[in-house]
Amino acid sequence: MNPEPFLQLDRLIHEKGRLAIMSMLAASPELTFTELRDALAMTDGNLTTHIRALQQEGYVSVAKSYQNNRPLTTCSLTAAGRKAFAGYINLLEQIVRQHKPQ
Amino acid sequence: MNPKWAEENLQTIRTLMERSALYRRALAPIMIWAGLVGIAAAAAGCWLKIESGAGFIAYWLTVALAGVAGAFLLVRRQALQSTEPFWSPPTRRVAQAVFPALSAGFLLGILCLFVWSEAPVADPPTGMSDNAGELFWLPAIWALFYGCAIHAAGFFTLRGLRLLGGLFILSGIAVLAWVIFSHHQDFPMAAWQASHWLMGSLFGFLQLAYGAYLYLTEQKNPVA
Repeated sequence: MNPEPFLQLDRLIHEKGRLAIMSMLAASPELTFTELRDALAMTDGNLTTHIRALQQEGYVSVAKSYQNNRPLTTCSLTAAGRKAFAGYINLLEQIVRQHKPQ
Repeated sequence: MNPKWAEENLQTIRTLMERSALYRRALAPIMIWAGLVGIAAAAAGCWLKIESGAGFIAYWLTVALAGVAGAFLLVRRQALQSTEPFWSPPTRRVAQAVFPALSAGFLLGILCLFVWSEAPVADPPTGMSDNAGELFWLPAIWALFYGCAIHAAGFFTLRGLRLLGGLFILSGIAVLAWVIFSHHQDFPMAAWQASHWLMGSLFGFLQLAYGAYLYLTEQKNPVA
């Protein structure tokens, strides 16, 4: 077995919670903090921590606005985030292909 | 490293991405349209004096088809405006979610239409007063089916839609309870106009109120 693809996996995305956030954002132009929290059944604190980590790496951008006088936080993938996510998926597919019987 | 692990991760990612693709068409115009159609149809039904059971069913089934067709046109217009495909995966999922309950209600209407078309007519004719009870439970059952349909759609779009679905279900149950418990009084309150206005209240005012609520609260291009 070639361990190379596994070693190349982006450790930041590889964590279960952050991978879920990246997956959700990869399929939508943007999602609100509440939508992410409800869909992933995460606590506010947990989600904030993961989003902050992704934001620091430049994978996720966070926009704050107001809707009906209430704060609205919206998250979306940056170009770098989309590229990193695509790379992560490619590596997973490589790993799957390696293990598929010929 | 477990060889299955990568495959499971890919499957999880796929599931999450599918779940993330929410149905984002603005529902306010659709609900307002449906509400206005319901109210206008109730008024028109009274004005046209549609009194017979079969006439009542045929009339409201036609109204339902017109309402659905109008809603599809509104969705298509929104898709064109945002240069997105009309039959997108979220649209398909919402359509699949509402289809079973909506078709069950429609087929029940067709069945009642056949049964009541062949029912003996009183001589002298007494209008709808003979089957006023039936014309109260049928709208109630339609409300139940409709409630189930939009509750199912609520899993792929706004959560408020599930609440509206629940409200339809509760309203349907309440009307059915009233029909059952007032049976021995031969529906003294039941007049043919009341059946039209029951439909107008359930499918008109309720949806119009929800549409107005959405219109005032839906996200309108938040400022970044």
